Amino acid sequence: MAQLETFYDVMRRQGISRRSFLKFCSLTATALGLGPLYTARIAHAMETKPRTPVIWLHGLECTCCSESFIRSAHPLVKDVVLSMISLDYDDTLMAAAGHQAEAALEDTIEKYKGQYILAVEGNPPLNEDGMFCIIGGKPFVEQLKHAAQNAKAIISWGSCASHGCVQAARPNPTRAVPVHKVITDKPIIKVPGCPPIAEVMTGVITYMLTFDRLPELDRTGRPKMFYSQRIHDKCYRRPHFDAGQFVEHFDDEGARRGYCLYKMGCKGPTTYNACSTVQWNEGTSFPIKAGHGCIGCSEEGFWDKGSWYARLTDIHAFGVEANADKIGGTVAGAIGATVAVHAAISALKRAQTKSASKSVQKMDTH
Amino acid sequence: MTESTAPRRILAGPFNRVEGDLEIRLDIEGDAVRAAYVNSPLFRGFERILEGKDPRDALTIVPRICGICSVSQSVAAARALGAAAGISPPINGERVTSLLHAVENMADHLTHFYLFFMADFARQAYSGWAWHGEISRLFQAKTGVAVRQAVDARAQLLTIMGLLAGKWPHTLSIQPGGVTKAPDARDRVRCLAIMRAFRHWLEANLVGASLESFIALNSREALEAWSRGHIGLFLRISEDLDLGRLGPGAPRFMSYGAYEVAGTHLFKAGLNFDGMPGILDTRRIVEDLSHSWMLGETSHPFDGSTIPDEAMRDEAYSWCKAPRYDGRTVEVGAFARQLIDGHPLAPALLHDGCANVRARVVGRALELALSVVACEGWIKDIEVASDFISPAQIPDFAQVTGLCEAARGSLGHWLTIRDGRIAGYQIVAPTTWNFSPRDGQGVPGALEAALVGARVTDGEQTPLSVQHIVRSFDPCMVCTVH
Repeated sequence: MAQLETFYDVMRRQGISRRSFLKFCSLTATALGLGPLYTARIAHAMETKPRTPVIWLHGLECTCCSESFIRSAHPLVKDVVLSMISLDYDDTLMAAAGHQAEAALEDTIEKYKGQYILAVEGNPPLNEDGMFCIIGGKPFVEQLKHAAQNAKAIISWGSCASHGCVQAARPNPTRAVPVHKVITDKPIIKVPGCPPIAEVMTGVITYMLTFDRLPELDRTGRPKMFYSQRIHDKCYRRPHFDAGQFVEHFDDEGARRGYCLYKMGCKGPTTYNACSTVQWNEGTSFPIKAGHGCIGCSEEGFWDKGSWYARLTDIHAFGVEANADKIGGTVAGAIGATVAVHAAISALKRAQTKSASKSVQKMDTH
Repeated sequence: MTESTAPRRILAGPFNRVEGDLEIRLDIEGDAVRAAYVNSPLFRGFERILEGKDPRDALTIVPRICGICSVSQSVAAARALGAAAGISPPINGERVTSLLHAVENMADHLTHFYLFFMADFARQAYSGWAWHGEISRLFQAKTGVAVRQAVDARAQLLTIMGLLAGKWPHTLSIQPGGVTKAPDARDRVRCLAIMRAFRHWLEANLVGASLESFIALNSREALEAWSRGHIGLFLRISEDLDLGRLGPGAPRFMSYGAYEVAGTHLFKAGLNFDGMPGILDTRRIVEDLSHSWMLGETSHPFDGSTIPDEAMRDEAYSWCKAPRYDGRTVEVGAFARQLIDGHPLAPALLHDGCANVRARVVGRALELALSVVACEGWIKDIEVASDFISPAQIPDFAQVTGLCEAARGSLGHWLTIRDGRIAGYQIVAPTTWNFSPRDGQGVPGALEAALVGARVTDGEQTPLSVQHIVRSFDPCMVCTVH
């Protein structure tokens, strides 16, 4: 096993001052919701622990996760995290090309057997023996299995790797599957979202690199620190929901006044993510703030649950002045019903589409 | 030297620092590429996924074709749906849409120059050149000083996306009738401040002078005398390595027209075939499937389908279809746009009627400068108290086209709605044009043609000249096949 330098050594080598290093430690503590005492603990860990190597692979994807990642709000955090992970293998940003790059991957796997974290963006398509995503002449699924074999843990970046995402939407032409369907013997941390928020990505990876352990996960494998609340819970338009004030059309007065988008199909009440707290693009905004409902991109199956623009009209009954308790109770029921109806429709549709596409060209083979 | 004189075949790739996956088979004879075969090894089947869905759902699905050009995909889908509904956005909706679209395209141009393209000149093979030290300091992949600064400048610029579009990538606010966000006076001032800061960054780093003075360049001599900024550094390299003759594409160019406000495009639509301007007629576009692993006949996108050939037949070598205009290959992109729009510098950069590595890179820099000026105008013109979106009623039956110019060139969506559902959705992306495989006549695509004659030195597995040419197109492979 190769002797590795510490994170602190790496950062100093990359020209990051001690002062900036300490600032990074306190920013990290804050971002992860830890108290100020943790600043010293993080600093100590980074000064003494050998760094954790990271291999970043890309499967069937649109690269939106990388795009999101390199725009993390705090330049210092981004610099540090990039310098931590850039040492090993990432084919979108790295300098080497072609066979050199392939060799670099092999080297990293060999040198850090059992020590590295494997970060996966995108997912493997299984139809036609995986030939819809060919990397270095081989199906991506083989590269994934190969790299996963000696990984300590796996991060599934984004909805593709975590759940399948839109490329797995009916009829799922390539039979794209999430990482955990292929790799079953390693701990997997799912960081869903299309893409995930940059700060969520850096937060998760920093936590793992600093403390050398997995963050606490919910029962679906998502880190609790970022995915334990619904968009709806912290939405700034929530008062309008409670008051029964809704946008009915994108061009109406309610839209202009920033009313609730629930009737426009907003999935905020059923979506667990940090958009309404951490926000996007340097913390400036999130879709609801720009007048469009949440589409629930971090939830499993969001791509096959019927039209995103189907209007939800089942809560017309609310009086504008009704009290919050009454609405809260009724709404919980209404949402439950909506989900159930959606589920029923989806199941039916799925059966229909499946048989239809089979008769046409038997693409959906699962 | 016996090795280099016998004809040989190499498989270049996988390429890094391009968007998505790419592999190129090269037939080499002597010290040059004799033939190139471009393979896009990634297929997801978006056109199949869209079939049967609510037409409005395209607004959520198509941006996810690409994490880099997502706004372009949104704009094309919104245009198609707007055409179906028979509406166009109010003028302020058009201003905001143009601004959002231009910001994404500018971010792409910046990424290309600073992260993807220049790093190749920091390679060891160029260590003998006087500029090598400076280039390495500035552009070394991931650690270069300019690379880091550009990443920050880009993130700052993209906060406009946050302010006006809620989230990027995969923005939702662009709709057939306009935009869902009505900016207030504060948003407008903030956007203007961000755009001014970006202007200053470009002036201090990329061009080393005012954007207007760079835009005013109108001859090859004037350009070659430009020594300021990072673009000056590139022009010096360009002269040393003769990049003005490297990688000639097809002598035919196309643009669908970029950024429409009140019926006028900032960069106009049109053609330029062998130096002759022409009028665009999308009915003359077909997709040829003879060398792609797709089943079906050559057809116009309205009649096209996307049925992968499970047998992956031997004559074919890519998932990419081969789009042709009037049966001919064309090159699309920032340079094509500037040539068609009539910027005087553009024709001066042609070599034997073709674009080349230098022309493509300068075309992007020029467009960056022009776009900043245009964005400042749109921001100032936004009338905060007016309408930004019109109501859109999507009919049950329609056959419509949605066109726009993405950073890498012409993007078209061909949509058929039947019984209120998507009955057909064909997408022809910029890199589908540039990186297309051969057609039924055996004519190679623009990149395949551009690679012929590229120099290969002994033992090179992924030749440097090939990398320069490939990256000069700024390929977006995830859009190419989708």
